[in-house]
Amino acid sequence: MNTTFKTSLAALVFSTSSVLAMAAAQAKEITVWCWDPNFNVAIMKEAGAIYSKTHPDIKINVVDFAKADVEAKLQTTLASGVTTSLPDIVLIEDYGAQKYIQSFPGAFASMNDVVDYSKFAPYKVKLATVDGKTYSMPFDSGVTGLYYRKDYLEQAGYKPEDMQNLTWDKYIEIGKKVSEKTGKKMMGLDPNDAGLIRIMMQSAGGWYFNDKGELNITGNEALKAALKTEGKLIASGITKPASGWSNWVSTFTSGDVATVITGVWITGTIKATKDQENKWGVAPIPKLDVKGATDASNLGGSSWYVLASSPEKKEAIDFLNSVYGKDVDFYQKILVNQGAVGSLMEARKGAAYETADKFFGGEKIWQKFADWLSKVPSVNYGVFTNEVDSAVAAQLPALGKGGDVDAALKAIEAQAKSSMQ
Amino acid sequence: MASANRSLNRYFDINGWFFVAPAALLIGVFMVYPILYSLWMSFQTGKGMMTQFGGLANIRRLFDDPMFMLALYNTMIFFIVQVPVMLTLALFLASLLDNPNLKFRGLIRTAIFLPCVSSLVGYAVLFKSMFVQDGLINSTLLALHITSQPIPWMTDPFWARVLIIIAITWRWTGYNMIFFLAALQNIDKSIYEASRIDGVPSWGRFFYLTVPMLKPVILFTTVTSTIGTLQLFDEVRNIMTSDAGSAAGPSNSALTLSVYIYNLTFKFVPSFGYAATVSYVIVLAVALLAVIQFYALREKD
Repeated sequence: MNTTFKTSLAALVFSTSSVLAMAAAQAKEITVWCWDPNFNVAIMKEAGAIYSKTHPDIKINVVDFAKADVEAKLQTTLASGVTTSLPDIVLIEDYGAQKYIQSFPGAFASMNDVVDYSKFAPYKVKLATVDGKTYSMPFDSGVTGLYYRKDYLEQAGYKPEDMQNLTWDKYIEIGKKVSEKTGKKMMGLDPNDAGLIRIMMQSAGGWYFNDKGELNITGNEALKAALKTEGKLIASGITKPASGWSNWVSTFTSGDVATVITGVWITGTIKATKDQENKWGVAPIPKLDVKGATDASNLGGSSWYVLASSPEKKEAIDFLNSVYGKDVDFYQKILVNQGAVGSLMEARKGAAYETADKFFGGEKIWQKFADWLSKVPSVNYGVFTNEVDSAVAAQLPALGKGGDVDAALKAIEAQAKSSMQ
Repeated sequence: MASANRSLNRYFDINGWFFVAPAALLIGVFMVYPILYSLWMSFQTGKGMMTQFGGLANIRRLFDDPMFMLALYNTMIFFIVQVPVMLTLALFLASLLDNPNLKFRGLIRTAIFLPCVSSLVGYAVLFKSMFVQDGLINSTLLALHITSQPIPWMTDPFWARVLIIIAITWRWTGYNMIFFLAALQNIDKSIYEASRIDGVPSWGRFFYLTVPMLKPVILFTTVTSTIGTLQLFDEVRNIMTSDAGSAAGPSNSALTLSVYIYNLTFKFVPSFGYAATVSYVIVLAVALLAVIQFYALREKD
């Protein structure tokens, strides 16, 4: 045992010194953590290639691992206080932004001196701002849309015009007709996931928290309407229950459902099913029946953060700013290749946003998403979104069985209060 | 005097200490220190790095935290239902497979033991794909006309718990059966012979001979299964939660204490102190249940 221990110790010393030697030789390397090889990893590599052309001394090293692992590793490393194993740039989903910024003050670098935030979609900037300082480079948006199967709806007697300006009641009515005529369900729905609730709530300008970040549940008209609507959806029998992400995705890739309501980042997945070409259309999401309701919302989306402890902090910020903050052509490229709708507003004037998409029967879908993006109501995602989300998801099965909405709101508030400590 | 010196010498023998030092050091650094530090942490409150000493605040928080109560309740449900079912099953299987006249004994034993060789995550993912709404299990049940509607394994709170119990029973029954089988080999065959001559029926031999003689092994498997069930994590994490949502099963019906600790640390605003407190609840629960089980199965002289 002793010999093996010595050997491994020696190996460790040697490997560490060789790593150090390599780092010294290559001067500047910016390490980035992100999670989707077909999406943000590919995009970051593209951005790195663009930046390296003008800055040959800087190498962008993109490390790809699962999202849950990125979050777990970031959280434990920040908590341990050892900064050496942290990357220079990390991707964080927008719902978690405030949690990280507020739980680990000083861990992330604010970029207000360099980045002109007025050029980005306002809701993306606000979600990473604390005390007037913004800590993110806004990246992809989760602007939502209603993707629908034109063939199924036609069989049920609906044209694309009928899918515009929907209310949720009208949507359910269409769904019933679709099930009757085609035997298909209207949408796949995971009852453990409060995603649809978040979409509906934000579309009416509401969130679990008010502008000051205080819990806003029992008096929250948008949330109440969202819960009521989701209850109606489940009870009406037009949803196909799904469990987990991949099962939910298979509800529409297999052609079992007629519509998908989610963030724009799903476009790539929908287009990957080649035999469904020309069968899909895109419309705004249905409106809630409350004051201030719109047909634009957001689900997910993420932004880049620079670690304050990074020795290459300055270079990392300059890299993000010169590509993500200015390069309109870059945004055209990632839109075409990865289907990423960025949040830099001037990017939507580029050529790619004007192109008609063959898969969607020649519709200019990107222009539509860009228009909806500018309409997404700005809300405060707060620090405790995951906690409240868990409380909300716990109430969903009961609501589907006709449970009382006010009782559910009370239960959510009680549970959320106790976890917000 | 001389003997006392010799025994003292054993404690001061530098060579002896040299031999145990590496192991003792590693245990100290990787086990004793984290345990003590987590105890210290359980008295800290606050978000992430912003912690301060909170005294008994975390313990008070336990009592008005509905999510913790739900996790404790779920864990206890799994423990109370699953452990007896699994151990009874393992005991029956073991005594059936102990029959020397049974054909393909080795093959059947291996088949029942094999699940516990599989990786926890691997089998959990497989179970998930088998038990989804239109998965293998539901389509089989429908084709055989056992049910007329697909069973909502993952979307109904009751069935979600049933699914978890089925999964862990499948995984661990064979493991416990092996202990019973091994213990059965040690029972003197002449005892059975004598009882057969005395005219004791086979059920009587099972309940009045086999079970009492297996008592130490039953105690051992009960304690280890209790510990395992109270720490239940992999199955729930992989079958019931998705990265998109944060509920563990419909209505959090499969949320266990370990999953809750994971959520408190990694999913929610990091509350390391409170998570440490919840982990000590598991320690206390295991200790308490082990004491009760030792007491219930003690040798009565």
